Amino acid sequence: MKTSLIILLALVVAGNIFAADVASDFSAANELYAKGKFSDAADAYEKILQSGAQSPALLFNAGNAEFKAGHLGLAIAAYRRASQLSPRDDEIRANLAFVRNQVQGATFRESRWQGWFGALTLNEGALLTAALFWMTLALFIARQLRPVLVPKLKTTTRLFATLTIFSVSVLGLQAANHFWSATAVVVSTGATARSGPFDDAQSAFTVHDGAELSVLDRHDNWVQVAGGAGQTGWLTVKQVEVLPGT
Amino acid sequence: MTGHRLHIVPTVGLLILAVLLATGARGASFTATLDRDTIALGEQATLTLRFDGDAPPNPPQLAEIPGLKSGYVGNQSMNLNINGVASSIVTYTYVVTPAKSGEFTIPIVASDANGNSISATPLKLTVTTVSAPTAAAVNSGNEAAFLKLTFPKPKIYVGESVVAQLDIYLRDDVQNFGNFQLTSSAADGFTPGKIVELQNQRRRLQVGNRIYTIIPLAVPLTAVRTGALTVGPFTASMVIVLPSQNEGGDPFIRQFFNQGEQKSISLATDVADVESLLLPDQNKPAYFSGAIGNFTMTASVGPTNMTVGDPVTVRVQISGHGAMDAIQLPDQSSLQNFKIFPPTTKTEITDQLGLEGKKSFEEIVTPQNADVHEWPQFSFSFFNPDDGKYHTLTEAAVPLTVKAAGTSPMPPIAATKNSAPENQSPQDILPIKENLGTLSQTKIPLVAQPAFLAAQALPVLAFLAVFIWRKRTDSLANNPRLRRQRAVAALVTSGLDDLKRYAAANQPDEFFATLFRLLQEQLGERLDCPASAITENVIDEHPVLSGATIETIDSLRELFQLCNQARYAPVRGTSELNSVAEKFEKTLRELQEVKA
Repeated sequence: MKTSLIILLALVVAGNIFAADVASDFSAANELYAKGKFSDAADAYEKILQSGAQSPALLFNAGNAEFKAGHLGLAIAAYRRASQLSPRDDEIRANLAFVRNQVQGATFRESRWQGWFGALTLNEGALLTAALFWMTLALFIARQLRPVLVPKLKTTTRLFATLTIFSVSVLGLQAANHFWSATAVVVSTGATARSGPFDDAQSAFTVHDGAELSVLDRHDNWVQVAGGAGQTGWLTVKQVEVLPGT
Repeated sequence: MTGHRLHIVPTVGLLILAVLLATGARGASFTATLDRDTIALGEQATLTLRFDGDAPPNPPQLAEIPGLKSGYVGNQSMNLNINGVASSIVTYTYVVTPAKSGEFTIPIVASDANGNSISATPLKLTVTTVSAPTAAAVNSGNEAAFLKLTFPKPKIYVGESVVAQLDIYLRDDVQNFGNFQLTSSAADGFTPGKIVELQNQRRRLQVGNRIYTIIPLAVPLTAVRTGALTVGPFTASMVIVLPSQNEGGDPFIRQFFNQGEQKSISLATDVADVESLLLPDQNKPAYFSGAIGNFTMTASVGPTNMTVGDPVTVRVQISGHGAMDAIQLPDQSSLQNFKIFPPTTKTEITDQLGLEGKKSFEEIVTPQNADVHEWPQFSFSFFNPDDGKYHTLTEAAVPLTVKAAGTSPMPPIAATKNSAPENQSPQDILPIKENLGTLSQTKIPLVAQPAFLAAQALPVLAFLAVFIWRKRTDSLANNPRLRRQRAVAALVTSGLDDLKRYAAANQPDEFFATLFRLLQEQLGERLDCPASAITENVIDEHPVLSGATIETIDSLRELFQLCNQARYAPVRGTSELNSVAEKFEKTLRELQEVKA
């Protein structure tokens, strides 16, 4: 028991020290940004992210620095990661939309339903669905325990059951999107997609920095993406940053 | 002898049948045809190889003939079943294009399905030269139709786009025409554009002593090399309808009711000689990027007040006449203080020939430091072939106010975030966040965590438990015998404890009173009658107990008698009461096995 407490205390202290270090590095990166040293600021934010820490603000600032440094693709990737952590953050959405508008050529355009489904994180969706599920079953249990309540609970039970079914469906789509689809954000200028996953393959089409393309397949260090107008092509993993979901 | 003949006839018949079948199976016939045996130079003929029966799986290779090119087009196959005999027809189609005039013989050799070489009658194709009619022929009115090529000027510059005119002349007695096809459009040293008819420009003209209708076609041409170039001859084929000469009757009536007769004709133009010149080096502007034509330019730069790294949109629109595709923005690599993103371009063509229109460029540039004070003067140069001179269009420098990023006030979108109209597009990204916020580690989503998924089973299990309980409760409520059985079972369980307690305390009165009540309750439940109605007499009278063993009946009777005797007999000891309790317990178990 005593040992467990010591370990717990040590973990808490270590966590606080880590958080303090991250906060310090974060402030330093912010200062670089304020001085107009955007590339240095982007490197500083990236270093913090590589340490394992992440927060919507950190990713947001990293996106800003990458954009100011002229890296549209890296900026979009950072904003998208930030948006996955905090999907209802208006500032993240505004900057993501702004940078997307700077991207040339075929790229991702968020549909209305994707906007709705993206309003919650996957975990928030899971918790909401679980709450609705538990509530619905609690109502069913109450109906079994007190049959006299059945007429009174009829409408409420139906409402919660409907909401649960809808929520489970949306969560299913969200989860499928998260686990089984991916987006490649082009992070190099004027990348040429090739018709096959090898360097000598014929060029299929050209994509610009920041283009967001659906990932169709992967092979070694190559990613097959869908371009506009039904085109498909292969890009190297160095040319893109692959993110979960579309 | 007759019998011998009877044996020979079926044998010969079978042999003939076998030969016929073998011939039928192998009976591939092979023919070759041309759709026309005479064509004009520049036209194409269609050659068809037809295999009736076993056809080769791949199209046969036609022999190479100098001056004649052939290309495989496709095949068609058809399976037939006539009177139970299956056969197939396969045709392979080729296009034959002559490169020179003359008479050609095309040998037809192929391999059948078994690889055997088979041949068909060689085909003859005559290729005639079509030449433009002479002036005398035109003036005589003998030409029902002819083509005329007009090139606008004898000298052009390489890269210059001009429009040659191809006029189709149709004599006034041509009732109808159609199926016009250019069979060759020789323009060595030019890149031809799309040939279109000039709208609303058909006209009538007297040539010699006949009236002709002129249909003008425009042929955009862009010179791609220098030197002496030739345009033409353009050749074409078309079908015209002329008054029939074979219909009799009154000539006056005939002119109204003559159905006419179709005639396929070939047309050709003269050759136009053109001299293509190099663009002059004299006075060639430094920013010239190859635009040839006559253009105007407008440009805009905005916003002009920004922070280092903020995007500035530069829009340039170049309008005019010329090859729009060749227009490019001048090289801007010397602009060291700006980061320039690749421009987006949009071309709007306003004429049907593709030579008039406007090309818009939009590029995003970002100032890289606060020392930038202007977007520099912007120039676009082009060569005007009409006057043979270079021209430069210039847009004046645009002053910019660029602030250092660290000292910049909040960008416009942030300052007016709540008050700006919704349709106003932001000018910049929102500024960075000062607070780090809550740190998190990358974790597996809840939906993929087994613990989370297992937790969702808890309410389901709870519901199932409650559901089963509810079903059992309802079942009990609807079954009075079952309810009584349960109640009696509970009563007997507690009663047995009481009996043991009374025995231990040596309380025979309470013991036997309890024993009697338990016997009544258990027998009442078994016999489905009130407990108070149970006496020793029911043991012999009730039919249900007829299913019990004699030992059980005897035990019950004995227990009843013991209860009765206890009211009068002296008090018994603890051990005797315990043995009575055990006997009662054993009898109860036997009684509970009796079907009620």
